[in-house]
Amino acid sequence: MVELLAIDNLSARFGRITALNGVSLHVNEGESVALIGPNGAGKSTLLSCIVGLVRPAGGAIRYAGKTVTSRLEDTVRSGIAFVPENRRVFGSLTVAENLEIGATIRKDRAEVHREIAQFLEMFPNLAERRDELAGRLSGGEQQMLVIARAVLSKPRFLMLDEPSLGLAPLIVNRVYEMLNDLRKTGLTILVIEQNSGRALGFADRTYVINGGRIRLQGPSAELADAPGFDDAYFGYGD
Amino acid sequence: MDSTLFLQLCVDALAVGGLYALVALGLGVIFSVMRLANFAHAELVTCGGYALFLLSDWPPYVALPLGLLVAVLAAILTERVAFRPLRKADQTTMLIASFTVSVFIQRLLIFVAGSRPKPVDPLPGINAPIDLGGIDISGQRLITILVCLGCLLGLRWLLLRTSIGLHMRAAAEDFSMSQLVGVRANEVIIAAFVISGALAGVVAVLYTAETGFVHPRFGVQIVLVGFVATVIGGMGSLPGAVLGGFLVGGLTTLLQAFLPAGLREFREAFLFGVVILVLLVWPNGILSARSMKERV
Repeated sequence: MVELLAIDNLSARFGRITALNGVSLHVNEGESVALIGPNGAGKSTLLSCIVGLVRPAGGAIRYAGKTVTSRLEDTVRSGIAFVPENRRVFGSLTVAENLEIGATIRKDRAEVHREIAQFLEMFPNLAERRDELAGRLSGGEQQMLVIARAVLSKPRFLMLDEPSLGLAPLIVNRVYEMLNDLRKTGLTILVIEQNSGRALGFADRTYVINGGRIRLQGPSAELADAPGFDDAYFGYGD
Repeated sequence: MDSTLFLQLCVDALAVGGLYALVALGLGVIFSVMRLANFAHAELVTCGGYALFLLSDWPPYVALPLGLLVAVLAAILTERVAFRPLRKADQTTMLIASFTVSVFIQRLLIFVAGSRPKPVDPLPGINAPIDLGGIDISGQRLITILVCLGCLLGLRWLLLRTSIGLHMRAAAEDFSMSQLVGVRANEVIIAAFVISGALAGVVAVLYTAETGFVHPRFGVQIVLVGFVATVIGGMGSLPGAVLGGFLVGGLTTLLQAFLPAGLREFREAFLFGVVILVLLVWPNGILSARSMKERV
């Protein structure tokens, strides 16, 4: 199995606060991996380091065999698409423009437009509102839009930061259906969740992070019943 | 009021307001992408004016494009030399840098060209009045209105219909997210400076055609009014900048026409008084930008 992402002994600090303290994890090509942990565990910091939003204090991040550059705009060019926390849809652009800008790095315009049409076919209420400002969509619709925006860059690796945050359970089901479909196309996925049940049900393997360290890891199916899971997730408070 | 006077006032208001709108847009384009209130915009207008002075012996079809080009090049140069090295610095540092660039260029022009006004006539012969259905309109006013309208439509097309326009709008809303979908920071920032410089160049042509001279502080007054227009319209909102430009232009024209002769000298005091009132009602400007997320 090819190792797509390898993080070795990563640490990150904000002033005197240590957000990550020697985190190591890896994601193999074609695999779906979840990183779960409570609020403030360091999950988002980890993703921010991978895409270049935060500069690590130590350790190494290697993607596809190469050390990751810290320039934001090169992240997507190396094949990493990122769905950030709170979605960050471009609210002042239309639905169609949000999809269009997802394909910024691609040259095959005809194929891009075919994929956009295909996506809109799957989500008729977004299709109806394709020329409306994306800021007017509901949270669930924005989440679908942002995932589609990420996928339109034709990534090799998709990272999502709490895609279920603030959404009703039925909408979360749809988000994970969409992720399952993407997984079937061979896309490698790393998803961050506080919603541990949802993540364990989706991912092949899961890491539990808490207090800036990996506390537990293993195949998702075994992890939920593993002794020490509750301690790993709920323990280590400040 | 008789209808001739009314039409005359409308034409004046549109011409003055259009010019202010172009200045406000030049400032607004930079502010929306970089969160930089670029005080050196005044000197872009001034540089364009001096270029037109140097090109006085050339026919307009040579002088005007070259004058425009000088303003654009000056804009790119200030970005490259002064603003790019400070891109990760905070907004105050950028603001101070723009003051520095502004003063530097002014002093450089005094040193090179002297502080005396130089005569400029970029559009010879356009001051002849044109008879439009009973009212006389100066050709200069008419051209100003048409050129401003053309610039507004052109910029609208660029921002709404081209991919660089799409990238600029995305960057204006959320700069780091736009980079994460692959928009190049340098590309949108350079595009913003090119547009801003081109608008400054157009203002240089129209404004020298109106005043007939250029001097080292030539652009300062009009850009100051342009700033007022962007603040009224809402910093970061381009439609707001246009609206603010026309409001200030209309108000200036009305004050000029209806203030008693003895008070006309203090026209600006009345103008800024109204600005204060507007800001008391709309502290963020009339059309404040929806999203004002921080620059990276």
